[in-house]
Amino acid sequence: MNKSNIMLICASPRHKGTSAMLLERVQVVTGGKIFFLPQRGSLDELVLAMQKAGTIIISGPCYINTYPARLIELLELASIKGNFSGQKLYGIINGGMPYIHTHQHGLICLKLFAEQNHLSWQGGFVLGIGAMLDGKPLEKHMNRKRIVPAFDKFIRNIVEGVQSPNSLYEEAQPPPGKLTTRIFTKFLTFLVVNNLKKYGHDPEAPNYYLRKQEEDKINGSH
Amino acid sequence: MILIISDDNRGNWGPTLEEAMHLSETEIVRFSADALQIKPCAACNSCSGKTFGRCIIQDDMQLLLPKIAVCRSLVLVSPVVFGSVSHHIKKVMDRMAALGDPRYRVKDGEIVKGMSRVGMNYYMVGIGDNLNEAECSAFLHLHQENRKIMSVKGQTFILDSRLNRVSLNNIVQEIIHE
Repeated sequence: MNKSNIMLICASPRHKGTSAMLLERVQVVTGGKIFFLPQRGSLDELVLAMQKAGTIIISGPCYINTYPARLIELLELASIKGNFSGQKLYGIINGGMPYIHTHQHGLICLKLFAEQNHLSWQGGFVLGIGAMLDGKPLEKHMNRKRIVPAFDKFIRNIVEGVQSPNSLYEEAQPPPGKLTTRIFTKFLTFLVVNNLKKYGHDPEAPNYYLRKQEEDKINGSH
Repeated sequence: MILIISDDNRGNWGPTLEEAMHLSETEIVRFSADALQIKPCAACNSCSGKTFGRCIIQDDMQLLLPKIAVCRSLVLVSPVVFGSVSHHIKKVMDRMAALGDPRYRVKDGEIVKGMSRVGMNYYMVGIGDNLNEAECSAFLHLHQENRKIMSVKGQTFILDSRLNRVSLNNIVQEIIHE
């Protein structure tokens, strides 16, 4: 692996979140430069850097079951510009839910992008319950005993330039059992409800946009 | 109301679908996402905290959110891009988080969330010629996961330019009679 030829792309709008933390963990071993996906303006320079890279590693959060819109925009533009020649592509996606299937679409999307644009898909890593880390080290993950060695093996696969199998992250994250599911659901709900109450909001209240339309109707009728 | 949000950048499928629905007694409202100025979600978490249920980014998404909040059916029409939707439609999807119920619950043994208003139908229409099995499967998988996490009903359709009028009408009937 040529360390100077490694490009790491953080697809999160947050520079201190879990996506960036995971990428920094990779970078410590692989070297290379981290590029934060700009949230506005041209993506041309980023595509140019992708064309010149030997290995590309993309890490991003899971929004509505796949990567955020801005990364899709980058992939669309990169596909139009073309000029790829076998660059190795690895993906990392993390989300709040403790299931692989909730987040896995992101990696499938990257794989299809690679296949259609002459890059070489090398596999990826799905991390569940990643949002709770909020940028804290992987050693703070609820399932750290399994996750940490699996993710570090993923990094070794990148260093060796070999395919990283799905089984690596799948075996490290079996779906939670019934009791854990119930406890986790109550715990997460407790956290979000408490947060809303802190700001004086009622979680049971109709959505803001519904309330606003009702208010506008009442005001309009007077 | 049936709300159609389409990316018409590579075709005219949104207006075509709207036209095919015009005999429906339900009100049809359509927006072209590619013609709107919509910024990406900034992950500021304000909509699930300080400004609960309200997105603080002031752009054209503020036109769509009140419509999505009340519509009976939401229909997203997008080119199939690497088994996903285009970035124009994905921006809309990402920003819809403001309309989600932030609380968690268990459904079919798994943790799910839901929308703040129960009962919305959610359809996705993917457009693409000569899509392979993997692309179609990924697109169907994405919408299936969306429906699961949002706890909504709906269907996914994949169309190509060889589609005949009868097939289009079948899709329209599915949507307007739900």
